[in-house]
Amino acid sequence: MNEQAKTFHAFNPKAYLTLMKSSVLESMQYRMSVLVMLFGNMMYLIIIYNLWKAIYASVDTPTVNGMTFADTMIYLVLASAQFSFMEAYLVWEMGRGIQNGDIVIQLIKPMSYESFQLFLIAGGNLFNFVVTFIPTFFIVQIVTDWAIPMGINLLYYLVAVILGSLINFAVDYFVGTICLYTHSVWGINIMKQILVTFLSGATVPLAFFPETLHKIVMFLPFHAIYNTPLTLLIHNDIPTCEVGRMLLNQLIWVIVMIIIGKIFWKLSERVITVNGG
Amino acid sequence: MAKITFYLKIYVKILGQDIKSRMSYRSDFIISMVGMILTNVAEIMAFYIMFQNFNSVCGWSYYEMLFLYGFSLIALTPMQCLFENNWNLSMYVRRGDFIKYCFRPINIFFYYISEIFDIKGLGQLGMGILTLIYSWNKLGIPLTFLSMIKLIVALFAASLFFIAIMNFAAASCFYLINTGFLIGTVNKFRDYAKYPVTIFNKGFRFLFTFIIPIAFIAYYPSLLLVRPAEVAVLTWISPIYGILFFYISYRFWMHGVSKYSGTGS
Repeated sequence: MNEQAKTFHAFNPKAYLTLMKSSVLESMQYRMSVLVMLFGNMMYLIIIYNLWKAIYASVDTPTVNGMTFADTMIYLVLASAQFSFMEAYLVWEMGRGIQNGDIVIQLIKPMSYESFQLFLIAGGNLFNFVVTFIPTFFIVQIVTDWAIPMGINLLYYLVAVILGSLINFAVDYFVGTICLYTHSVWGINIMKQILVTFLSGATVPLAFFPETLHKIVMFLPFHAIYNTPLTLLIHNDIPTCEVGRMLLNQLIWVIVMIIIGKIFWKLSERVITVNGG
Repeated sequence: MAKITFYLKIYVKILGQDIKSRMSYRSDFIISMVGMILTNVAEIMAFYIMFQNFNSVCGWSYYEMLFLYGFSLIALTPMQCLFENNWNLSMYVRRGDFIKYCFRPINIFFYYISEIFDIKGLGQLGMGILTLIYSWNKLGIPLTFLSMIKLIVALFAASLFFIAIMNFAAASCFYLINTGFLIGTVNKFRDYAKYPVTIFNKGFRFLFTFIIPIAFIAYYPSLLLVRPAEVAVLTWISPIYGILFFYISYRFWMHGVSKYSGTGS
């Protein structure tokens, strides 16, 4: 691929938009799987609703660590909705591409592999955001009698969730790069998934974590993926400077994680030996 | 009898081949095992954090919940280790590769299932045993010959239920096209087996007892050891019900095979 083509495409947003469009169209092909996923999510909601109701029944106070039952439910429901639009299985994709050699086809394209994946995923995320997150949000609003304020917090959430998605992408990209060294994609992926969902507060809200653990978690990038956007969405009494601090923290993590991912990929690129190539 | 020994012999042979080929990827084995154990550790941490803030789940204490969790991990192991190939069924059927199983003079279900042994499931088994011993001790359940017999029978019955549920999910690909995603969704039900079914209202209790019987994976059989005073009738019938449920899922699977006609190539 010559340099001219490279620069041409690098400054051509059309290529990126086409990628996004293609993944949106692809997502629309799997209507049946969307239905089953919806059923699975509903089961999950039924379970956690009953579980947390039983848990809250064991204490006399309605508020535990600043969270009422309703707060906890809203948080967990939206966390699971956010998971279903954000999770793009990039580690699987990269692992498979490395194992069957498809990755070389993408490497010779006049676009960096990272941006290629980023825009492909962005399209899928956008589609899933519209078909899963927005309906879930309104169902939550109707069930809880509009418990989530409809103000500036929605805008904060949008900004925070985009930054969170970028951190999530950078983490996935980093972990996917590890697949260049090992064939155990399943093991690598499950470890990543557990660490991210647990340390980001997607399984148990961070508000319930014991103090030391909470402090440790706040030093890691994962809380910025789920906890920061959801906190900004649910509460509208956060002072503006605090909001700014949280978003800045996210932005720093985006930059740090992308740089780390790029360095790691650069260092690892030379170990690609696909099927004797 | 001769038939059983014949099948046993084949089983050991096929399984041995798979284990041999898997052991040649040692790092893969270690990484998968660590991943499996990490999953369980995170779930125990979640319990721990919950009980830092709350006293009980529907009257169940921390150690009782750990017992349920450990029990469910052990009960899920046979599915994880021995019936893992169910995961690939929809892919084999869609691509047409399934036809190769139809040309063997042995039971197709048996041959298909025995092909894969998932070693990483042993990590889960280890975590399950550790959790069970720990909570067993903390709860002060007497360790007698009878309680061991109860435990083994209860675990056997419990493991059949999840295998049967996954058989149904996998065999659906014979009836509908491309149902690979279904098994992933159904697999998530395993995570719900670790909670006492009493947290649900009547309707859902019925659903999780008779229709999607995940309450049999840990709750009903565990009552025998954790809360002998509360043992339900369902606990006693669970071995029979388990065998029946497994048998139905097996018939469903085999009926699906009879409908299979390849991809026409």
